[in-house]
Amino acid sequence: MSKLIFNRRRFLGTAAMTGAALASPAYLRRAHAQGGEVNIWTYNDFVPEAFKEQFEAETGIKVNVRLVDDQGKQFNLLAAEQPNPSVDIMTVAGHRFLQFIESDLLAPMDTDRLSNWDKINPTFSESDWSTINGNKWGVPILSGMEVLSYNTDLVTAEEAQTWDTLFSEKYKGQTAYIIQDMLSIVMLMKGYDGNFIEYADDHEKAAEIMAEIQQFMIEKKPLVRKYYDSGAEIQQMFVNQDIALGHSWNGPAAALINDGFPLAMSIPQEGSYGFVYTLNVANNAPNADNAYTFLDAMLSSPEIGAAMTKASGFISTYKDSAQYLTDLEKKSTSFPEEQLANLQFFRAEENELKYGLMDPAVEAIKAA
Amino acid sequence: MNRGNRILLSCVYWAFVLYVFVPLILMILMGFKDSKFIGFPIKSWTLDWYTGVFADAEILSTLGYSAAIAVLATLISVAVGTWIAVLLEGRKFWGRTAIFGMTVLPALVPGIISAIAFRIYARYLGIEPGMGAIVWAHAVHNVPFVVLVVMARLSTLPKSQLEAARDLGADPIIAFLRITLPYLVPAILGASIFCLLLSFDDFVRSFFLGGYEPTLPVLIFAKLKSGMSPEINAIATVALVLTAAIGIWAERFTRRMNKDTKA
Amino acid sequence: MSNEAASRATQDVDAHTGVGRTFWGRLSNWSPYRALMGLVTASPRRQFLILAIFPLLWVLTQHLGPMLQMVRVSLTDAYPVAPGVEQHFTLDNYARFFGDQIFWQPFFRTLIFAGGFTFCTLILTYPVAYFLARHVSRKNQMLFLLLLLIPFWVGEIVRTYAIMILLGNTGALNLVLKTLGLIDRPIPFMYTSFSMGVGIVYLTALYMLLPLYSALEKLPRSYNEAAADLGAGAWTRFRRVTLPLTIEGISSGCTLVFLISTGFYATPVLLGGPSTTTFAETIAGFFHVAGDQWPTGAAFATIMFFAALVLTAVFQKLMNALRKGDTK
Repeated sequence: MSKLIFNRRRFLGTAAMTGAALASPAYLRRAHAQGGEVNIWTYNDFVPEAFKEQFEAETGIKVNVRLVDDQGKQFNLLAAEQPNPSVDIMTVAGHRFLQFIESDLLAPMDTDRLSNWDKINPTFSESDWSTINGNKWGVPILSGMEVLSYNTDLVTAEEAQTWDTLFSEKYKGQTAYIIQDMLSIVMLMKGYDGNFIEYADDHEKAAEIMAEIQQFMIEKKPLVRKYYDSGAEIQQMFVNQDIALGHSWNGPAAALINDGFPLAMSIPQEGSYGFVYTLNVANNAPNADNAYTFLDAMLSSPEIGAAMTKASGFISTYKDSAQYLTDLEKKSTSFPEEQLANLQFFRAEENELKYGLMDPAVEAIKAA
Repeated sequence: MNRGNRILLSCVYWAFVLYVFVPLILMILMGFKDSKFIGFPIKSWTLDWYTGVFADAEILSTLGYSAAIAVLATLISVAVGTWIAVLLEGRKFWGRTAIFGMTVLPALVPGIISAIAFRIYARYLGIEPGMGAIVWAHAVHNVPFVVLVVMARLSTLPKSQLEAARDLGADPIIAFLRITLPYLVPAILGASIFCLLLSFDDFVRSFFLGGYEPTLPVLIFAKLKSGMSPEINAIATVALVLTAAIGIWAERFTRRMNKDTKA
Repeated sequence: MSNEAASRATQDVDAHTGVGRTFWGRLSNWSPYRALMGLVTASPRRQFLILAIFPLLWVLTQHLGPMLQMVRVSLTDAYPVAPGVEQHFTLDNYARFFGDQIFWQPFFRTLIFAGGFTFCTLILTYPVAYFLARHVSRKNQMLFLLLLLIPFWVGEIVRTYAIMILLGNTGALNLVLKTLGLIDRPIPFMYTSFSMGVGIVYLTALYMLLPLYSALEKLPRSYNEAAADLGAGAWTRFRRVTLPLTIEGISSGCTLVFLISTGFYATPVLLGGPSTTTFAETIAGFFHVAGDQWPTGAAFATIMFFAALVLTAVFQKLMNALRKGDTK
């Protein structure tokens, strides 16, 4: 265990040096003496410190990072700042795009201005969720997914092949999940479309299905230990052995695995959903040019992608970034091919229908 | 009988001390854990998290920033709060209840609502997000606590003292400065502690009104996103030790000042 | 103390006529200051106006302003307003609360929990405050009090996680119980009303302790002694003398704790279980998860706010009645 920490620290400690050793691409030199600043809202550790320092040194653009801890707060903050935001780049999850776009908070992404756009794995850059209203809106950087995490001392890999285990009497009082995310997953379990695209023209059916799911969740309520919200919570529940298994995002689970905790993840056979964190340029961004310079620089090397994976536990969207990961890090960020086949992305098109039904369902389940 | 009571009460006190301190001790202890997550069992120990705090310029400057905000906001709250308390206590006038109601308002609004209301209002007033805005929001939010504490003390001020001073010709300002204010000192000190605590620990208002420099709770929230690591415990412990040291120093200092003026 | 202070003020006044020896004397002799004083104290009415104008402006602009903004938002159908969208006045957001029973449960739960936790805090801290004020020598009182304040310097979130480490299945408490041989399997303390209570009382104890302490500290010991001389037992003395005289401290402590605990968000969310959702969580949901429902959130916050206010007013009336009843 301590060896891992040593690795992590060594990475941080030598990161400045590695950063300097990275080849400095031509466009950066061109941009030199450009000066000014770029303002970024992002999660802790999403922008690698070494990259940030190198970028500032090469371009003379000062990078101001404002740390945020959730999507909703970013939205509220930005909405309160419009029409003259203080931010240039912010971090939005792909399936939350629509909300930002509809409120006119994002500017369409001009991918022609990003010479390194093709360094992103097309699975992410050309996916069905990434184009809305005929435009691209963000640069994909990290990919997350909804997984079943389990303590390998208590739960077998076989049991983790199905979401049913999460609702079994055997693990009564030893499970936890994020209630909103679980609603979509239960829809998949029951053979429905958790993105609601199939029900775009049949809202009655959608409501019927949601009522069924709600009923199921209420029936299973005595079995669950905790409806949680944040990754830190489920990590703590695993460490304290308050739970044996639970639904989680892969990032927080990977962080536990990398720390040597006996944990594993699976994408159960019923399927699951994935999402992608993207960097977006704000509408009316005060330093839009610098924002594009920054985004292009960020995409320039797979090593930067790997650094983001190391810090967050989420999977890098960069081509070839895996070669910079340790074996354990590779293990905690990869899944067997047959499990990945069950994965689909969250879609935003029918969000209004979806959340219109889901939000009251969440309230009802919590109140039950 | 009395003695039995006393022993029983002291047991209750020390049990309470235990209740209050056990989580604190656990927090300090976890800062020495050699892992990225807090919790038992602790397999190996390390000093790295603590040394890391002192090596990290961002954390130290955040601590200073939070402390500066807390002190400034407290100074404003105490001045304004005391003024309002003096107006409200012991006077009967038309609209007193309304003013009192408005005074305690900020303490009653739930955190997230208050933060967003402040953010919208700041834009309306043209206050830029940043240190000034945070100080402003904290100051406004803390005024009710000062008013409540100071009013409670003020209500016990013997009227005869003020009247005596006025009868002897002291004008209201001198009477306030020489009689009321010294009498209020314990309440003002208590209220200051309240304010410093509230400000230092505030997350929502600091987040919504802050700029690109995080306050301590904002930094901790952001770090929590990647897991509750011993680093956060180490930061909290260092903040605790530093503020406790400053508190003890301030207490000693005022004590010595008092001695000097007496002599 | 009282005579001393008055005579100090007298000295300054003496300085008026004699030589200004003290700072205060010199100040009151300084002609610009005297001119100012003359202006300020010309009439009691003007004096009052000068005293009142600043607080009035402050509470109107700083306290009422943000709140009115919130109420205004709660009466609209869209906020923040997207460009090109027209904003309309509506009462729908309030109707939504009264029309849907789903919201009543967390609402009443919050009020009941807040009341219950306030009572627990009172019961727990009263003996502590009593001990501090009555049985600790004056010299040490500050020290003992400060000792209790130390943990409150640690942020809410960090403290809350420390409580998880205390109460979890592999937490300190279960570890101790197991080592003592009292249990074989860990007791699931976490994610119950119990763990939530432990966390909330931890947060509120300070706000109860300080008013109680200052009320008890003011109470002259001679009252109790007199009652004892009259043959009253310890319990009777407490019930007939101490309790009625500290009712003001109890009332302000309870008010403070009750109001604060209706607004708690992070601690109940982190320590509570699946069936302990609070109204603050419901409200925050409109701002976080749903994202675009600020008006509804603002309306719900307004409802919570007025409910808490009404309850507090009733409580204060009750306390006042109690006090009057006792002095009769």
